[in-house]
Amino acid sequence: MTSHSHSASHGADVPAIDVRDLRVSLGGVAVLRGVNFVVPAGQLVALIGPNGSGKTTLLRALLGLQKFHGGVIRLFGETNLRAGLARVGYVPQRMDLERSFILSVREFLALRLPATRHWFWLSKRRTDSLIRESLAEIGVEALLDKPLAQLSGGQLQRVLIAFSLLQRPDLLLLDEPTAGVDAPGEETFYELIAGIQKRHRMTVVLVSHDLSMVYRHANRVYALNGVMCCEGTPDEIMNAESLKEAFGIHVSPYHHHHDAH
Amino acid sequence: MCLPTIIIMMLTEPWMQRAFLTALLLAPLCALLGVFVTARRMAFFSDTISHAGLTGVAVGVWLGLADPTLPLIAVSLAVAAAIFWLKENTSLVTDSIMALLLSGSVAVGVILLKMLKTRPGDLYGFLFGDLLAGGWREVWQAAGLCVIVSIGIFLNLSSLSLVTAHEEMAQVCGIRVRGLNYAFVIVLTLTVALTIRLLGIILVTSLLVIPPATAGNLSRNLRQQILLSIAAGGIGAIGGLVVAYQLDVPCGAAIVLTCLGLFILTLVGARVRNAWTSRVSRAASTPVA
Repeated sequence: MTSHSHSASHGADVPAIDVRDLRVSLGGVAVLRGVNFVVPAGQLVALIGPNGSGKTTLLRALLGLQKFHGGVIRLFGETNLRAGLARVGYVPQRMDLERSFILSVREFLALRLPATRHWFWLSKRRTDSLIRESLAEIGVEALLDKPLAQLSGGQLQRVLIAFSLLQRPDLLLLDEPTAGVDAPGEETFYELIAGIQKRHRMTVVLVSHDLSMVYRHANRVYALNGVMCCEGTPDEIMNAESLKEAFGIHVSPYHHHHDAH
Repeated sequence: MCLPTIIIMMLTEPWMQRAFLTALLLAPLCALLGVFVTARRMAFFSDTISHAGLTGVAVGVWLGLADPTLPLIAVSLAVAAAIFWLKENTSLVTDSIMALLLSGSVAVGVILLKMLKTRPGDLYGFLFGDLLAGGWREVWQAAGLCVIVSIGIFLNLSSLSLVTAHEEMAQVCGIRVRGLNYAFVIVLTLTVALTIRLLGIILVTSLLVIPPATAGNLSRNLRQQILLSIAAGGIGAIGGLVVAYQLDVPCGAAIVLTCLGLFILTLVGARVRNAWTSRVSRAASTPVA
């Protein structure tokens, strides 16, 4: 037990994400203007910002999909992004899959694991155990033999999460995870993510344009608009004057109720 | 006469042996590549590089070559590179880029061929395929391509499937997406260039599109789709040659129509099967009164 807590405290010193003074320009427009973004390990945090605030650009930079002109990105203290990404699971917002491509859920998940990389030649039994386990955790084991292109938005989202959990990542990045999900589904979804985060003691970053969605589940909220406007607990963020100024809107966790005319 | 007898009779002729071998090597290869070509929405791309072949043929005639395969491959690769360059360095829509290059390269080819005083009859084989004129050289080229590409595809099947499903996820998973995409385009260009002899510039894309769609009608997963697509390509090639031989029609068109016939059969079959299974399951779930 002592050795475990020792290694845990050692790991806790290094933030999962450590971004310093990140600068990105797209087509001559400075999208990220010196962003600092430090996420301690083992937290469930939300990265919020209006459309065009650079959330997606920051996420893409973290994933090595976007070149940056200045600044440093460290994942678990590692400046070599490729090495850091081995510990990262990424759940994209959507999947633009051609319906004629008949990739089954089982085959899709097999693409993630070195042990099942040769799914084409292997029997189902040999690829199954790990894949079933991962699907069962997300509660979608019944989808095992379904073609990916025939899934609903919510089902696909869960399969994508199962995919990203297969390699037991230490950091999970989700891009607008509830974009295609209805309101009751959204609540279940956040409970699912929070459960996974606690069970695996991983760091989770939810990227969203809507604060009210993540308000109840995030430990910490980061508000981005070209620069990091403010960060804090959800309650601190709600009352921050700088947030209202930067976003130019009244941010409230209850704004759905005020929408009625 | 039954089918095996016809095929045995056909195979007594050396030129038909070569045609059979070439068709049986290239059609399944196109069908295999086609699964990924259609899933990646690259059918128009392959149409563009095959039409660029007309300029390649013209260059071959200009250089006085008996076999225009090399200039054909060179021009097709150049057009593929131009598509990539324009995509990355202009704001043009991909479809417009391809339409520009398709019509442009056909126009250049037509003018060059006119200036070189080529008779339209000489072009027929390139436009619509002339499988029966091929020699053993063509068979060996097809065999070499088939072996190399199949090994390449099956060694990289997982990476290729993941890139097809989601490029950015693939990149985050550590796959070298750019390299894989370039390799795929080069392989596709070479395959299209060699298959022009089988089906002609106009028809070559059909062999990339129809067998995967036929397989899609019957498949529940990618393994089935790949195997059935290869089978559909092979059956279409043999069937087409038999039809061409029996009815004395051009074999490129006969292969395409056989593939289309298989597609329609499987489409109807899949519809009937689905209707049947849903009726059975409805009957089973209806409580007995």
